[in-house]
Amino acid sequence: MKLDSKIPEGRLEDKWRNYQIKAQLINPANKKKLNVIVVGSGLSGAGAAATLAELGYDVQCFCYQDSARRAHSVAAQGGINAAKNYQHDGDSVWRMFYDTLKGGDFRSREANTYRLAELSAPLIDHFVQQGVPFAREYGGVLVNRSFGGVQVQRTFYARGQTGQQLLLAAYSQLYKMIRAKKVKMFPRSEMIDLVVIDGKAKGIIVRDLVTGELKRYVADAIVLATGGYSRVFRLSTLAIGCNGSAIWKAHKRGAFFAAPSFTQIHPTALPQTSEAQSKLTLMSESLRNDGRIWVPKKKEDIRKANDIPEKERDYYLERRYPSFGNLAPRDIASRAAKERIDAGYGVGRLKNAVYLDFRHAIDKLGIQTIKDRYENLFGMYKKITGIDAYKEPMQISPAAHFSMGGLWVDYELMTTIPGLYAVGECNFSDHGANRLGANSLLQASIDGYFILPNTINNYLAGALEEDIPTTDHIEFEKAEKEVRVIIDRVLNINGTKTVDHFHRELGKVMWQECAMSRNKKGLEKAILQIKTLKDEFWSDVKVTGSGNELNTELEKALRLADFMEMGILMCTDALEREESCGAHFREEFQTEDGEAVRVDENYSYVSAWEYDEGDFKLHKEELEFEFVQPSVRSYK
Amino acid sequence: MAANKLVFRKTIIAGTGLFLCLFLIVHLSANWILLLPEETARELYNSYATTLRENLFIKSISYILYAFIVLHVIYALLITIHNRKAKPQKYVVNHFLQNSTWTSQNMGLIGTMILLFIVVHLANFWARVKLGMGEIIELDATGNLDVYKVTFSLFHNIYYVIFYTVLMIPLGLHLNHGLKSAFKTLGFYHKKGLRISAKVSLIYAVIISIGFGVIPFFVYLK
Amino acid sequence: MKVTFKIWRQENRNTKGAIKEYKVDGLTEDMSFLEALDHLNELLVLKNEKVIAYEYDCREGICGQCGVFINGRAHGPHDNITTCQLHMRSFKDGDTIVVEPWRAASFPVLKDLIVDRSAFDRIMEQGGYITAKTGTAPEANAILIPKEVSDSAMDVAACIGCGACAATCKNASAALFASAKINHLNNLPQGHPEAHKRVQEMTYQMELEGFGSCSFTGACEVECPEGISITNIAEMYAKYTKAKLFG
Repeated sequence: MKLDSKIPEGRLEDKWRNYQIKAQLINPANKKKLNVIVVGSGLSGAGAAATLAELGYDVQCFCYQDSARRAHSVAAQGGINAAKNYQHDGDSVWRMFYDTLKGGDFRSREANTYRLAELSAPLIDHFVQQGVPFAREYGGVLVNRSFGGVQVQRTFYARGQTGQQLLLAAYSQLYKMIRAKKVKMFPRSEMIDLVVIDGKAKGIIVRDLVTGELKRYVADAIVLATGGYSRVFRLSTLAIGCNGSAIWKAHKRGAFFAAPSFTQIHPTALPQTSEAQSKLTLMSESLRNDGRIWVPKKKEDIRKANDIPEKERDYYLERRYPSFGNLAPRDIASRAAKERIDAGYGVGRLKNAVYLDFRHAIDKLGIQTIKDRYENLFGMYKKITGIDAYKEPMQISPAAHFSMGGLWVDYELMTTIPGLYAVGECNFSDHGANRLGANSLLQASIDGYFILPNTINNYLAGALEEDIPTTDHIEFEKAEKEVRVIIDRVLNINGTKTVDHFHRELGKVMWQECAMSRNKKGLEKAILQIKTLKDEFWSDVKVTGSGNELNTELEKALRLADFMEMGILMCTDALEREESCGAHFREEFQTEDGEAVRVDENYSYVSAWEYDEGDFKLHKEELEFEFVQPSVRSYK
Repeated sequence: MAANKLVFRKTIIAGTGLFLCLFLIVHLSANWILLLPEETARELYNSYATTLRENLFIKSISYILYAFIVLHVIYALLITIHNRKAKPQKYVVNHFLQNSTWTSQNMGLIGTMILLFIVVHLANFWARVKLGMGEIIELDATGNLDVYKVTFSLFHNIYYVIFYTVLMIPLGLHLNHGLKSAFKTLGFYHKKGLRISAKVSLIYAVIISIGFGVIPFFVYLK
Repeated sequence: MKVTFKIWRQENRNTKGAIKEYKVDGLTEDMSFLEALDHLNELLVLKNEKVIAYEYDCREGICGQCGVFINGRAHGPHDNITTCQLHMRSFKDGDTIVVEPWRAASFPVLKDLIVDRSAFDRIMEQGGYITAKTGTAPEANAILIPKEVSDSAMDVAACIGCGACAATCKNASAALFASAKINHLNNLPQGHPEAHKRVQEMTYQMELEGFGSCSFTGACEVECPEGISITNIAEMYAKYTKAKLFG
């Protein structure tokens, strides 16, 4: 199958406009007859559901949480980028596009990335109109800050809670349309399978998480907005409920999975302190503006941080990257930390952290300045660790944070299954091999608010002539039966190990072999390990309770079962890509001093995997760089 | 748009409450007559009492007062019933003193104590003076009903002295929380102003409760 | 570290519940409270018992899903935090920890410690938004908003919808929640056109949902993870009165 990305004609600047000119329209009377399912109610899901409803479609929106307002978009701290050039510092759509493309190490489509930058400005207008209280100057205009190592100030923010504010704006717009009876909301409902009829996505099977009942929903088109899958590592900055099941089920029904191994590891999270830990809390990247990162020069140094004299400290980022120092991009900072930790220089109880030290900044700027800048973060740090970071350095550690990979989508955000769309973090579209800070809220919003509502017409116009199937259709029967079999199987194993046990084991393998740095041997081993683990899971897991009730243990088990299969694909993808690019670092492909070596001749493509009865078949979407020339990222 | 029952009821309680607070000032300042030496106090007090009974304006105010007490109580009752329904099941363990004051959590109980006080108080005075129940009240030298004597004899009963004094404690608590909350319920939200109003409420509550509380003792010792 | 949990167990909405006792060993001070419950659940699974149902998602204090009543306080013994931010170091070895679901008629228990907070969503549905369609926005800087106004809107917009305010309130009043949203939108110029309607409809819905009335105990602002001030309720009342008089 040839992958058609459907990139419109014309110059980069004209592509989106050209697309819109040619896109089909549906008259308002007909829109009412069309029905769209949106799975997920985060920034992209709620944005899409609300906007589609405003346009006149009937929308059914599902989320596994108790309310649409809980989706993990809520946790994004830093901000959202937009090429407004309010600071008059030379920013432009082009520059933002280029920064994003380069940040992603030239592994995304030019046209998609350009559209992301192009639509960023109207998005800020939109959120301001929706009542998002962005930070402002005394004169009343919007403030920007710089973020994620770019040279302009283009990040808009609402304290350290930008994600929350944007999500609540989307949520409120969603509820506005619920009140207008154009959206029907189904909280505590988890999509368990996708129903494909005659090659087109026509419905979903949902488990009501309160009663355990399996329900069928039919629609003319289905939009997945289910977020990232980094919980495959178990320990991550994601919400505990975040999962990959919806996209995995879609993948198994025929949607290609693109670049699954592109996972961003964030350098400044709090380290794991015990086996029982469930979550790694992110500390804002902004801390690196004033904090200096170091480890002791002596291996297994057991002295307290403050007792280690200056000359016995290794400020390794400053040493290796003199020009960017502590502000090196996320992937580089994470990898450098891992390198030191693996070499035995890690600090903290489990020797898995590095120091982030503010002493110099406090000496230089005064404690008050540091308080003004980071008081809430220092407070949060103390709440979680009990340590006063004004007195001793923070301990930080890399953590899985964002999945650049996801379902392969074309320019219209449609997957390889006609009628199935993927928006937000669950698709692979704009970030390439590495995402820039403050671009995730942007992509989620733009996909949901601006792109999908404009592209879905092209498909739905055709759906008008088709009869909509009923939920009695044989495919619904089949899908529901399969789900029932899986649920019964999980419940009847009655083995000796808990779901969390298997998740911890999976996490360990994935973190060791498929996170910040990867190698052939390790990946091959990991695939075997996960396969063994999977077999063990299906023969020895123990899940109590039944399927006909609220059963959180069962929910976890079903999600984990999919994560294990996904883990295999992630390793397969990482193994196949014999180069280092962005967040994907293959140890075999580095320079003498440890920098990534990209192999454009062979790997300038998006890998798109087709599910093939437990195996995976690779398809390649070649990336053509018409307007920019890929360059080598250097942060020396 | 129908009026919001919850807000409406709270507004009535706050509004009537504020009026009752004003009334207490007037009431207290008159009652302080009782602290004067007997010869001045008796005449002044009795003539004041006569004025209260006979002045048309004051009479009409007094009806408003009765009405407000009744409204305050009825709406408090309605709200309490509603609130109980909103929270049908209590926590097994609840350390509410760590996040709020005992008074604020028990305004209903305190209010009931005050209501009890009012009933007794009305029986002691209003029923006798205005309804003519119980022993006939004599006239004083100037021809006014000798209400002073009624008071005097009542407060020479140590049980009444204790009753009247002790129940000033719930009154003080009720006024302190009630006054500052009334401002908020009526929509006063200026932050600094609210801090001042909290202080004013405290001072007011202390003056009223101690001010009334000392009278029975003074009279007892006369 | 060893503690005794006394946890509310209830099969579903229609059954009666009761407190059940669990002695748990092998905890560490670094564990979050929820991780201690996770640990207990694993032990229960291995003992072939049903796990305790409780809610959580982000586990970093922002999603608002994890509220439970711990030892007589919403979100546990500290002021202004969420349950997921509570750590076992706040307890002593050998402590007894009583865990109950939120109690309010409008938050019916679904199972064990999980309650249904959809009443909050329905309050939001009645005007917790600005009626403007995607694609109709004017240029962002065309609407000037003084920093003080924007900052004070942010103070209340920070509400995470956890329900602690109504849960801790002796009257189960949702006034702090509703006032936060009303004041956020009504104080911004974008929210002005619908201000009167919003305050009336949202407070009315609050009543329909069966929440109690505010009697200013102040417990809510102490338990609110975002420290939203109770003066917001007074401000909501002012806005309500204004809406009634001029709306």
